[in-house]
Amino acid sequence: MSEQNVATERHNPELTVGISAEYLSGKRFPYQEDISTIEDVDLMEATPGQDLNWLEDITLLVEDGVPAVFDRYSNSFVKIYFEIPKGREDEIARKVLIKHLTSGNSYGIQLKEAHAKFPQPELGPWVKGSRTVGTDWKRSVLPGWEAPAGH
Amino acid sequence: MDALTGESNIVYDARGLVEPNADVPKVSSIDGEKAEFDAQNLTTRQINLELRWLINEQGITDVTVKNPGAKHSLGVGLLTRCKITFDGSLGYFGCGIIDGPEVHVKGRVGWSACENMMSGCVVVEGNAGSLTGAAMRGGDLIVKGRLGARTGIDQKGGTILTMGSVGSMTGFMMQRGRQVICEDAGHGLGDSMYDGVIYVGGKVKSLGIDCVPGEWTDADTEFIDRKFRIYELGTPPTFQKFVCGKKLYNYDNLEASERKLVL
Repeated sequence: MSEQNVATERHNPELTVGISAEYLSGKRFPYQEDISTIEDVDLMEATPGQDLNWLEDITLLVEDGVPAVFDRYSNSFVKIYFEIPKGREDEIARKVLIKHLTSGNSYGIQLKEAHAKFPQPELGPWVKGSRTVGTDWKRSVLPGWEAPAGH
Repeated sequence: MDALTGESNIVYDARGLVEPNADVPKVSSIDGEKAEFDAQNLTTRQINLELRWLINEQGITDVTVKNPGAKHSLGVGLLTRCKITFDGSLGYFGCGIIDGPEVHVKGRVGWSACENMMSGCVVVEGNAGSLTGAAMRGGDLIVKGRLGARTGIDQKGGTILTMGSVGSMTGFMMQRGRQVICEDAGHGLGDSMYDGVIYVGGKVKSLGIDCVPGEWTDADTEFIDRKFRIYELGTPPTFQKFVCGKKLYNYDNLEASERKLVL
């Protein structure tokens, strides 16, 4: 998907059936196109316990005919455009996902700043020392909206 | 203040059943990255506020909660890596919606422990009630005792492992993940499951609709051996494997947005 197509989809949601990370963010990320950017991801370090924990359920899928990994935190697919070495499909999918989450690019993480209602680490359980968000939540106010009479 | 050991001792706001006191008690004794507090005289809300204050604002990574008193909804909504020990039992909905914590419950847990758990490890020394691991999405839930009915209902990922037996309709509408049951399973095991794997070490009273025996592979052996080794559970028994027969499988026909609900 080119940059132009991404922008078109963002402004015409009816053009797309699925939801991709690119659609939500309006851009493609380097780790979707270059395997060297994810090779140093330590999956064991990124997950609790003594094995892969929740990442065990993460496998390489296909979305719109393109290899992809599902980001459950934003209900979207992160498509992978580089060639995936045979036998490393699930490992690569997991590394791309962890890179996506730890980079703060998941749309679910981006929403935390404005919508988290209680203190929590912005980057979830994957990044040690992540800053805390949700300490000062205020109800969103639609400009120009007023409560109906009697409410 | 008298110990809050029963529902009648907790004051609720009649409009919304919310415990009105939202002040963090700040009663913990803190030693470096470790903290400990006695929950006997605290309400559910105060206990959870104390936990979040310690973990999210004080940089504590290891908390021990004394006398949890089987109060409901303790340790919920913790979204970071940390260690929590409950020195006693939990009531309903303990450790729900967690993402990252490693929790040790030295007693029992009530209904729906670890509901919607995203990641982490929870070890329960005693028994657990019905609906344990409901809608669980990831992580490990280890129960050294027995489990009630509908264990892992709507499970979407992760592992539920019990050293004991499970009640009826365990794995009902299971969509992903794994269940390891070392003893017997009640009626309707795996009823209407979409996917996932259930291992049973004892007898199965009856299988649910579309739950069928599966073929054992090396990956199953590796998985079982690994979990028993990590959690020091001894030698695993011989298991039967059950999977979805996919006779009712209309998964591919679902709308794309519906398909994502089960991923």
